[in-house]
Amino acid sequence: MNIIKLSWQNLKSNPLSTTLSLLLMTLGVGVISLLLLINNQVDQQLQKNIRGIDMVIGAKGSPLQLILSSVYHIDNPTGNIPLKEANKITKTSMVDFTIPLSFGDSYQGFRIVGTTRNYPELYQAELNEGQYWTQSMQVVLGSTVAKVNELKIGDTFFGTHGFQEDGHVHDQYSYEVVGIMSHSNSTIDNLILTNLESVWKVHGHNDDTHSHDHQNCDHDHHNDEHNHDHHNCDHDHHHDHQNCDHDHHHESIEIDYTDNNNISDNAMITSMLVKFRSPVALIQLPRRVNESTNLQAAVPTFEIGRLTKLLGFGVQTINAIAFIIIIVSGLSIFISLFNSLKKRRYELALMRVQGASKWQLVQLVVYEGLALSIMGLIFGLVISRLTLLSISFFIEQKYNLANIQFHLINQELWLVPTALLIGLGASLIPTILTYNINITKTLSNV
Amino acid sequence: MLKSDSITFSYDGYKEFCFPNIQLDQGQNLLILGESGVGKTTFIQLLAGLLKPKSGDIELNGINYSTLTPNFMDQFRGKHIGMVFQKPHFVRNLSVLDNLIFSLYLSKKSQNKERAIKLLDQIGLGNKYKSMPYELSQGEQQRAAIALAVIKNPDLILADEPTSSLDDLNCGKTIQLLKEQASNTNAQLIIITHDNRLKSEFNSSITL
Repeated sequence: MNIIKLSWQNLKSNPLSTTLSLLLMTLGVGVISLLLLINNQVDQQLQKNIRGIDMVIGAKGSPLQLILSSVYHIDNPTGNIPLKEANKITKTSMVDFTIPLSFGDSYQGFRIVGTTRNYPELYQAELNEGQYWTQSMQVVLGSTVAKVNELKIGDTFFGTHGFQEDGHVHDQYSYEVVGIMSHSNSTIDNLILTNLESVWKVHGHNDDTHSHDHQNCDHDHHNDEHNHDHHNCDHDHHHDHQNCDHDHHHESIEIDYTDNNNISDNAMITSMLVKFRSPVALIQLPRRVNESTNLQAAVPTFEIGRLTKLLGFGVQTINAIAFIIIIVSGLSIFISLFNSLKKRRYELALMRVQGASKWQLVQLVVYEGLALSIMGLIFGLVISRLTLLSISFFIEQKYNLANIQFHLINQELWLVPTALLIGLGASLIPTILTYNINITKTLSNV
Repeated sequence: MLKSDSITFSYDGYKEFCFPNIQLDQGQNLLILGESGVGKTTFIQLLAGLLKPKSGDIELNGINYSTLTPNFMDQFRGKHIGMVFQKPHFVRNLSVLDNLIFSLYLSKKSQNKERAIKLLDQIGLGNKYKSMPYELSQGEQQRAAIALAVIKNPDLILADEPTSSLDDLNCGKTIQLLKEQASNTNAQLIIITHDNRLKSEFNSSITL
């Protein structure tokens, strides 16, 4: 038996007010911790996906929309731009490399993105099984896409126009799965990747693409393709269809889209990701593009900075409310300590008579306050994690909320001293009263 | 040995209490009688070291209270003095047994559970040691309170009106128990009361 055990006993024998204080503390800490965790996750996710992308080129419109649509694939694109126009930027000396993106279709809500192999490389995403596309209409699935839709290599599916699951189905052209990516915890996980031609083909711009070999093939071939029923375009028929470029695809991996000779004048893309050679370009190039071309240049770090600032305001408001809850929990701890102190005056005097020092009585009160705040702190931190875990269980597929942090994150650290201070603060007045208890008077007033 | 030498005390500086000199050897009992308002409780609190006399000395086992700091006085009282009050009081949220063990903890003595159970057996509460204090009857509570005072084998047991709220039967039992426990541990027992029923129980008594 000791002071700590007695404190614990006192808490247990006052279940209602103990529960109330605990509940308030848990609630306050839990809400703040949950917000911090989500904020942290979103931040990480946002930062991870813009790594390596210095600038995005797209149609004029909202720069934030351009970033959201082309980097995170969570908004509609701003429009189309001619690939040849965009390539002029690629040729600028300040640019290291560019990645064209062309999208507008989806499958079961997952976007089909026409691009080059540089795109998965940008995110250091690797193939888990199969291979990259070697010809049009072949796709590589992000890990989440494959998992959710239970697609395997060799499976085929039709794309849907737009990004809703109930859009118009492009049932003339079926995609064939040739590869599945490993989980990269980036936006790639939720994408269906293919080459640019596939997207152009589905949208009836077949004549936009002119690979070298294509160009060598005459227009008859194109007409041929047009006349063919593409539903029959399964493996057996491939050979017949693409008699002219079949060999080509096996040799060269991809067409160099940056070479304007390889593409037709009206080849359109949705946007283009740009990597600079040096940070200096950040100052000049976006401005130059915006001022002197019909294209729009947006810088992901700027736009995301703006976005998080906007989000930050909402987060701070909820934080403030949760902080008030914590204060109220401190008040509740104070009231329960104060009330029980009034009832226990004689008991405390008795303990003094039995040899307890003033400080032991002070400990008794402080331990109760601290126990409540520390337990509330721990419960809050645990509950926020459990909540996040269950949220992520439901939405992981869509938003990639993986990798929940179970350890304390830096932003949460201030919760620890805050909870301790609240516990100490709440027991301050009861402590002073306890310290100053007049034993003889208390004992005389039976 | 307890010795008090010409102690006076005053609450407000005007009215002064003067208390008789007493000297008590180990194993001796003393009954102090007095009407209300003569400073009975004050005297016992002085003897317990809870109040400091205005003048005079109190000595227990050769240690003069005035030489002890408040902290040491607390420890000294915890180790050597057991107190019984008019109304029994306990740590509410601890069982009878835990109250005894907690008392040993506070007086920095070893928390001997067997001894505590044995003591409760002796005073007839052997089947109640898991009960909460408020579950006991008044007589049982007073007996448990005596157990609380004597569990640490004090050298001095001070009882302040221990029988005033008890009927004759319980009164007799309580006094018997106090005397028994005091002689068991060879302690000095001082009972302060206005209860004349106790006069016949003691050889030596003084009146304030």
